[in-house]
Amino acid sequence: MIRQTFLKEIKELLRDGRPRIALIIVGLLLLVAVWISARQYENTNAQYEIAKQTERGIWDGQSDKNPHSAAHFGTYAFKPKYPLSLLDQGVDKYAGVSIFLEAHNRNEAQFSAATDQTGLARFGDLTPDFILLFLVPLLIVLLGFNTFTKEGELGTLALLRSSTVPTWKLVLGKWMALFIPVLIISLILFGLAGAILSSLKDYGVFEWSSLFMMLLVYLLYYVIFINLVMVISFLSKRSGISLVTSLSIWILTCLAVPKIASTVAEQKYPYPTRQVFEAEVLQDKKSGLDGHNPWSKEAKLLEQKVLAEYKVDSLHQLPFNFDAYRMQKGEEHEAEVYFKHYKFLKEQYNNQSLVYQNLAVISPFLPTRFLSMAIAHTDYGTHWDFSDAAEKYRVATQKFLNDDFAKNSSYGDWSYRADASKWATLPPFEYQPSKLKAVLSQNATHFLILGIWTVLSFGVLFVTAKRI
Amino acid sequence: MINTNNLTKQYGDHIALDRLNLNIEQGEIYCLLGANGAGKTTTINLLLGFIQPTSGSAFINQLNVQENQKKSKRFLAYIPENLMLYPTLSAVENLRYFSGIGGKEFSIDELEGFLTEAGLQKEAHHKRIASFSKGMRQKVGIAIALAKDAKVLLLDEPTSGLDPKASNEFGQLLQTLKNKGVAILMATHDLFRAKEVATTIGIMKEGKLKQEFTAKDITLQQLEEVYLNTMDYKQLVP
Repeated sequence: MIRQTFLKEIKELLRDGRPRIALIIVGLLLLVAVWISARQYENTNAQYEIAKQTERGIWDGQSDKNPHSAAHFGTYAFKPKYPLSLLDQGVDKYAGVSIFLEAHNRNEAQFSAATDQTGLARFGDLTPDFILLFLVPLLIVLLGFNTFTKEGELGTLALLRSSTVPTWKLVLGKWMALFIPVLIISLILFGLAGAILSSLKDYGVFEWSSLFMMLLVYLLYYVIFINLVMVISFLSKRSGISLVTSLSIWILTCLAVPKIASTVAEQKYPYPTRQVFEAEVLQDKKSGLDGHNPWSKEAKLLEQKVLAEYKVDSLHQLPFNFDAYRMQKGEEHEAEVYFKHYKFLKEQYNNQSLVYQNLAVISPFLPTRFLSMAIAHTDYGTHWDFSDAAEKYRVATQKFLNDDFAKNSSYGDWSYRADASKWATLPPFEYQPSKLKAVLSQNATHFLILGIWTVLSFGVLFVTAKRI
Repeated sequence: MINTNNLTKQYGDHIALDRLNLNIEQGEIYCLLGANGAGKTTTINLLLGFIQPTSGSAFINQLNVQENQKKSKRFLAYIPENLMLYPTLSAVENLRYFSGIGGKEFSIDELEGFLTEAGLQKEAHHKRIASFSKGMRQKVGIAIALAKDAKVLLLDEPTSGLDPKASNEFGQLLQTLKNKGVAILMATHDLFRAKEVATTIGIMKEGKLKQEFTAKDITLQQLEEVYLNTMDYKQLVP
């Protein structure tokens, strides 16, 4: 009975022009989106490799110079593009791809793709995640809005009710007729993405397990939508009412709630403006040691402390260059200041994430969006992680340079030049994002909410359908 | 085969069906006449188990419908007034589906056999229902009943909207089913068709069975007169 209902529904879908056209359009859009994204992915990664090697070459190619000059010369940390960003570009477009690492300052990531685009970018890009998150649920609405209402309108509901077919078999047959086409579309898309990514050996480490997990997240999302659309179709008296109600749910879930969540989160836990943030950082920096200023109160205190510690009367008697030592201590103070202020930003980000999590109760879009981005390593969490790793590398680089300066010269010897071969001994910046297991663990709440949505929507569907 | 025992359905203060007692045997066609709201469709819905009686009971093949919903449905087929069927499927596909969900699998030849028996022309068997007239759809409905091997057929206004030829063909089909021993209950406004096909005719008004008589004992003119009298429409007749 399930098979018969499934086959009948599929035949109806395929023979009715509207769902057929919708299926073809969504399928074509997906293929185009994957093709565009794959090209973008290849280009970006090629640029990343070139930029990384070129910048490292520039760093390594420095001539003999004072290490602190090299620290001011600076270098870049580049954020790699991860394989699954082919499917979900997340916040990558807006987050910036490189961070300039220099002495005394923690810089923001810059050169985001969005800044390179024209105003037309406001209309959005055709990306697989747009289709997966917005268009496939819309397709589900178009395929399923009349799944029950049509039975009443065609007079077949009475025939079904007068037959001995158990309701659950009828519902399951109809459910499968909506799920299987969506499953096929998803499998084609994810299979295609997997094939492309596994053939690009040079760019990032692609893991099928992550792709599979992302597919699972989207399938849960679609299951929820299928269940909701079927419940609405069952409760509606006419197909027109069912279509309008389902579309309203789609608008609310996919368009309205994410924007509401964004507004609420920003209002409740606002980030400081750049001017305020920079002013506060500067103020805190000034309240501590400035490595370049030997006459400040803090510098004098440090001087006295070091002289006492080494039991000498003069800075010249120290076994290292106190100028370099002071600059390192200045760096450490500045790093602490940045840590404190970025910690506040991160807390705001975490609080905003909690707002999103709470609102996920009324929209399965939100947990899906966050899980998808997290698995693809294109979420703000990964960006924060990259930014922290770059800062850690910056601090370590400053120590590497200041230590060399301190060790190989004496107090007042600003003429010291490190050998050109020194620069290549600085370990390169390497960043590895969290493994899938850690990502899933960090996003367990999103998974839980998605799971609750799935179970509840199934429950409502079968309770509602019992009334048939 | 179809029995009701003081079958009553009440919605609040409104009595939709009032202590109905029916007894329809195998090979009998019982036509229920009455105006809209007389209780004809309520009777059918109670026999189908779609609604629960306030009191009394309904039986299909001696099975209490309310207590044996699934079992009683095995014996009956139902054709509603507006049977559209699935328009994008052919007659054979519609028939195969409804047979399939009833747990019966038939070959194409067998399915075509049922459709032919129901009077549907061979060239229409594989055409989509969307192009069918109401009469043709009713024939597919009868084919569904034949395929189910139903012992009881419940019909709700099956001839409304049919042209005279189609209505006549439908009447002949009912006679065929009657001769096969099927017990048929047909709710209708069509006095002429009722007189032509029925074994027994009942006239309902305001939920009550007001008149009941054997069809062969009454002429069409008498039937019309009794009907109008029962409905208090006499003053409208010149």
